[in-house]
Amino acid sequence: MDRLPQLDLEIRSLRKRYGGFTAVDGVSLQVGKGQFVCLLGPSGCGKTTTLRCVAGLEEPDGGDILIGGREVTRDPPWRRDIAMMFQDFALFPHMTVARQVGFGLEMLRKPRAEIAARVAEVLAAFEITALADRKPASLSGGQRQRVALARAMITEPRILLLDEPIGALDYSLRETVMIELKQLQRRVGISFIWVTHDQNEAFSLGDHVVVMNHARIEQQGAPEDILHRPRTPFVAGFVQGNNSFHGRIAGAEGGMLRIAGEAGSFLVPGASRAPGSAASFSVRAERIGPAAAAHANRLAVRCVTVEYFGSIRRYILERAGGALLKLDQFGAEPAWLRQGEAAEIGWAAEDCVLHAVPEEAAPASSAAPAREVVPA
Amino acid sequence: MSSIRPGSPAAYWLALPATLWMMAAVVVPVGMIVWVSFWGGRAFSPDSPLSLDNYQRFFANRTYLALVLETLRHTATMMLICGVLGYCIAYFLVVKVRSPGWRTVLFLAFVIPFWTSALIRAIAWVPFLGVNGVINQALLATGLAEKPVEVFLYSRTGISMAQVSLYTLMASGPVVYMLAQIPPALLEAAMTLKAEPVTVFRRVIFPLTLPGVVIGQVLVFLNVMADFATVQTIGGNKIALLPNLVINFYEGAQIRAAAVVAVLLMLCMLAGVAAALRVVDVRRLGAT
Repeated sequence: MDRLPQLDLEIRSLRKRYGGFTAVDGVSLQVGKGQFVCLLGPSGCGKTTTLRCVAGLEEPDGGDILIGGREVTRDPPWRRDIAMMFQDFALFPHMTVARQVGFGLEMLRKPRAEIAARVAEVLAAFEITALADRKPASLSGGQRQRVALARAMITEPRILLLDEPIGALDYSLRETVMIELKQLQRRVGISFIWVTHDQNEAFSLGDHVVVMNHARIEQQGAPEDILHRPRTPFVAGFVQGNNSFHGRIAGAEGGMLRIAGEAGSFLVPGASRAPGSAASFSVRAERIGPAAAAHANRLAVRCVTVEYFGSIRRYILERAGGALLKLDQFGAEPAWLRQGEAAEIGWAAEDCVLHAVPEEAAPASSAAPAREVVPA
Repeated sequence: MSSIRPGSPAAYWLALPATLWMMAAVVVPVGMIVWVSFWGGRAFSPDSPLSLDNYQRFFANRTYLALVLETLRHTATMMLICGVLGYCIAYFLVVKVRSPGWRTVLFLAFVIPFWTSALIRAIAWVPFLGVNGVINQALLATGLAEKPVEVFLYSRTGISMAQVSLYTLMASGPVVYMLAQIPPALLEAAMTLKAEPVTVFRRVIFPLTLPGVVIGQVLVFLNVMADFATVQTIGGNKIALLPNLVINFYEGAQIRAAAVVAVLLMLCMLAGVAAALRVVDVRRLGAT
């Protein structure tokens, strides 16, 4: 094939079932050269299964996987141009760090001298030369993480798959490691596919974030897109800092839609929809403020509690009917509400984001707890 | 109570009953056997002068020497067969049988025969292996043999067949344990590092189960070296290995010769265990 591969990875309508449980249902994804992609979602949403299908550790029931333009759907892991970092690092307990890191090159049947030179180089690059003769049992969490990364990167794969790669680390280490990994990825230009349930990780690392729920992709795009323009109520609820409202289309007013629901009646930008049809929208916590003349949408609330994070102050507010809302204010500004106080809040119509898919596709989502899928 | 502290002298009292029993049942008798094996002269009495005569007499006899080598060779064969079969069974049970229910059923089926004593199991092989035994009848019925195969009973083949069935579990059990400890992610990590299944086995699975293999081999080695019952019931009087020689000498009232063989047998076993410990530090088992 002389066709120039444009994409590092292409997944076309991937499907995977375990018995009666659908783990991945029609997932499609394109990863360009050297992209940093984060698969984000609650446990059991299918993100790990998707990653394992790309690695060849699970055989899909349907769909295609192409790596570098080559179809590999039925290929075993050892014939794919990938490397993988596992959640608990999966280091070989009987091998020294040097042996461990050189394992991938040994498998490629490189000459011994070349392996030794390359291992020395990689150990130095990851600042673990001093650990060369140690075994994993005597390493700290951070050291293990470096060894696992060095072991995966040494063969220079086209794609590095990372399954919750910093989940096993101490909280204090995570931020440092995240920055290092991001810089490493930029430097080497290998595509990273990073699975996580932590949205801070996903949004700060990913060029492209894929939010998954119930075996499907809810939304994918740049972090800003997903944070500020959630397409579905699930994404709006899952991503921090959104307030969601549900209702029905009551009519159109000057190029905007009026949506009336239990919370009240609100003006939302959007193309016209059939009156009476279900609709939902969200507004970000930092776009809400004390009711002002410019606000087309208003709501009476009572302050339940105030959380202070330094850079922002978050008010948890209760509206009539009991539902809670979030309102963010810059932390440096003086507080304008105290616990127990009543107020009227408001926001501009332009700050509302109409959801493309109004109702939850699976209404059982809140009733049935999401099943954890970690195939043995 | 202070006896919980590691340094507490009270803890020694807990070890006392077992110590006394081991002294009386093992240490003193073994000491006496070693002592008797050095008795010189003709009289059988504690006044005998100590000498190497008994050993010299034993090693001067080529038949006995051949028997030592034969015993070691037979034991090595058993270790090989039981080791390979045991590893395959363990691998099947742990890696291939995914359903926990089936795994329990198969494991029980595998273990239940071991609830009877080794002697009974050895004797139970006789009706299987005889000229009119179950195996021969099956062979004749299926037309695989035209006349009964006689080499099963009272032969080396028969002994080997029985001992393989008796001791494969011992080779298998420790491997089952070690295999079950390996996180599946290790095998997946090896595969994503371009290792094909055979390589994954050779470079990851087998090294990680090696302690189990060695312990299994030690168990088979010790049991086969000491097994006089199977050799006697299935081998009849035609075949003898070192442990049977102890009995022969003892029944012939040659106590000093019996002691010599017993000491040699113990030395072989000690050497075997020491060699195994050099390969794998059994004391560090379970610690990763």
